[in-house]
Amino acid sequence: MHTGFKNLINRNTINISNFEVLKYKRMIKFLIQLGRYFVLLKKVFSKPEKPVLYYKQTIREFVFLGLNSIGIIAIISFFMGAVITLQTAYNTENPIYPKYLIGLGCRDSMILEFSSTIAALILAGKVGSNIASEIGTMRVTEQIDALEIMGVNSASYLILPKMIATLIFNPFLTLIAIIIGIFGGWIAGTLAGVITSENFIYGIQYAFIPYYITYSLIKTVFFAFIITSVSAFQGYYVDGGSLEVGRASTKAVVYSSVLILLFNVILTQILLS
Amino acid sequence: MISIKNLNKSFNGKLVLDNISVKFEAGKTNLIIGRSGSGKTVLLKSIVGLHEIDSGEIWYEDLLFNKLDFAGKKKIRSEMGMLFQGSALFDSLTVEQNVRFPLDMFTDSSLEEKTERLNFCLNRVDIINANNLFPSELSGGMKKRVAIARAIALNPKYLFCDEPNSGLDPITAILIDALIKELTEEYSMTTIVNTHDMNSVMEIGEKIIFISDGVKCWEGNKNDILSSDCGILNDFVFANSLAKKLRKVSK
Repeated sequence: MHTGFKNLINRNTINISNFEVLKYKRMIKFLIQLGRYFVLLKKVFSKPEKPVLYYKQTIREFVFLGLNSIGIIAIISFFMGAVITLQTAYNTENPIYPKYLIGLGCRDSMILEFSSTIAALILAGKVGSNIASEIGTMRVTEQIDALEIMGVNSASYLILPKMIATLIFNPFLTLIAIIIGIFGGWIAGTLAGVITSENFIYGIQYAFIPYYITYSLIKTVFFAFIITSVSAFQGYYVDGGSLEVGRASTKAVVYSSVLILLFNVILTQILLS
Repeated sequence: MISIKNLNKSFNGKLVLDNISVKFEAGKTNLIIGRSGSGKTVLLKSIVGLHEIDSGEIWYEDLLFNKLDFAGKKKIRSEMGMLFQGSALFDSLTVEQNVRFPLDMFTDSSLEEKTERLNFCLNRVDIINANNLFPSELSGGMKKRVAIARAIALNPKYLFCDEPNSGLDPITAILIDALIKELTEEYSMTTIVNTHDMNSVMEIGEKIIFISDGVKCWEGNKNDILSSDCGILNDFVFANSLAKKLRKVSK
């Protein structure tokens, strides 16, 4: 700890409460962690030793982090679209609302919020915990040390391919989520008899703003970066054993989710205002 | 040759290595021995640069390693091989891919040349018909041997082994020790082995330093160790009842 700070919190010289000491300690700890996060990012974005090996790793990560996530995204989006349609239908039973609004509501909800934010929260759970535990286990079993000894930039070799894979693949997941979500809404709406197929299809085409898709994809790219970098950071600096790897994995999901929600507000204000 | 001068290392204000100075000679198996928690692994990891030291000097031949920048350290690291306590094989790669990894990363050799080198390294450590197995499918002894094969893949000048015998039965442990000694002589490497296994000490200890509580207490070889007058070393060497009895008889 910095000497000046030590003096500041020395209760013999300056009369401050235990609460304030704790507050300063937490603030310093937070700033240290933030600094380490940016140092890690600098290492991640340095020049690769052998680009061909990074390319191979990236292809592998496309499969592990991207293709393997299609299933869960498809299932959740389908049911999300179905529920949005049914809820909209049961809350707009007044005859002054045209029925096609149900389709429109489903489309806009899926595009604006569910395909990007909810999908990102789900991916924070699936992909984030996977990244943190994989890198964390490599740390505690000295595999990262082995890479360092060989002269490999371990941060770049392990994290950059994951980052590239998620930044490229997650927008596709978002598009898949939009399509399947709207499809789920159509199936649920027509099967439940709350809307006709014609009305629903008219609704999803009505007053369509293409920029909403761009907005959703921009958010997805930001969220993909948050999930990968925060989870990798938690895993990379694990110190201890399996218990700490588990804790890092939990922290990765919690911190990623909170940051996704925070950036959702910020990006919405910036992009839609 | 690797020289250490007045090396100090602490964690959170607690001194773990206290003014260590030693020379590790080329073509010899140099041993760092001591009780668990004495600072052996911290010393080894400081020598290879995995821990930043507080003060002191680490020389690889005529290069001051701890003052080099990333590129300078990387150059020396390309001449290092390390065998970790838990082997540290990459879980997601097969035996073949593990040994091939440094060749793929740091050489521009053709596929045939790399395959030839890979097969040579695996044969050298007696790993046969296991190329496509994953680390989780290997026994402890096999993992160590694969890790040695990976460590020697690039013909290193320096070999570091952190407790190479931990978790192995005495016969396999002796085989691993013999392999390390043979490779050291064959390639004239500077080998440093961390151990608390007295069998290893008596088998391969050409130069030995004994560390207790982060302080170097004794330096010598396997012939001197039994007649040392260093009390803490004697407690360590003659820790079990059989060794104590043998010592009494020899006196």
